[in-house]
Amino acid sequence: MTKQRLLTAGLILIGILVIVFFGINTIHALKRLRGHGPFNGKPPVANQTDVELVRDWMTIPYIADTYDVPPEALFFSLGIPFEKQNGRKSLKQLNDEYFPDQPDIVLLQVKDAIKAFQTQAPPPPSLPPAPTKIP
Amino acid sequence: MSETVSGFFLTQVINYGAPLFALTLFFGAIGLPVGASLVLIAVGAFSQQGYFEWGLMAVLGLLGAVIGDTLSFSMGHYGKDWVEKRFGSSPSWINARAYFDKRAWVAIFLTRFLVTALAIPTNLIAGGSGYKFRRFMLYDTLGEATWVLLYGGLGYAFGTQWEVVYEFIGNFGRFLLGAVIVGAGIWLARSQLGKPRQVEQST
Repeated sequence: MTKQRLLTAGLILIGILVIVFFGINTIHALKRLRGHGPFNGKPPVANQTDVELVRDWMTIPYIADTYDVPPEALFFSLGIPFEKQNGRKSLKQLNDEYFPDQPDIVLLQVKDAIKAFQTQAPPPPSLPPAPTKIP
Repeated sequence: MSETVSGFFLTQVINYGAPLFALTLFFGAIGLPVGASLVLIAVGAFSQQGYFEWGLMAVLGLLGAVIGDTLSFSMGHYGKDWVEKRFGSSPSWINARAYFDKRAWVAIFLTRFLVTALAIPTNLIAGGSGYKFRRFMLYDTLGEATWVLLYGGLGYAFGTQWEVVYEFIGNFGRFLLGAVIVGAGIWLARSQLGKPRQVEQST
């Protein structure tokens, strides 16, 4: 078998592996897709309630708007000053800046604060105040 | 890494809106791994939530993508001489060019929204093979408009569940890429099998 034919056979084999792997993933994704949105006939919701959909790229004002929670309440629960500059930062950026030793703490705290607000309970005790801002 | 980059762009799109969205699609169209499809679906969802005006986002996003494609087409165009010097006399390159010329519009149109991983190579080949810019622009704009409306529309329809849509589209696109790889392999195999016969016939 020549080098060129080996290359062709390799190409077809890789292609088949890609088809099988992503074909299975596509079927699984389709199954998950059927449980949401237009496929089950529900209209899209105006405000989100499921806190598990909060992601670390989101900003506090965006989360506040999506979950109908006052942004100052979220900042208060984090012990982070409610400033315009902080409002433009993602949860991950806030975490890296104010709580570098506690990974994902901002994300978890925001979820808890939303849950507390949703159940009309007082917000959970805030984190210890961030002493210094790490550049 | 890619998730971090697309996360960064999602945050910036939330903060700065349409101009940043257009810039993201522009970066995606020149081949930077910014997660353009993910951002597009997300923007559809943000529009449904009332964050953005979907018409403006669609127009600016389309503009960003088409400008990016024009740039990558130009890269192929200006690299044409180098490619011609290096591969110009190769029969495989000549065959591939002829094959591309026949089906270029299908490749340009479909790689905008169906097999997006091949969009950049297609732009470079189109530019490098001397494909007419006006025709490229026509099929490119049609393909990108389909991409923006289809992906953005799905994000809009599914709202906050847009991540599930992205998961499906991402996997389906790679599945199609696999089919293209197999197709290319079969095409190569057929052309290799045809060679000895041609030699026999000519002798």
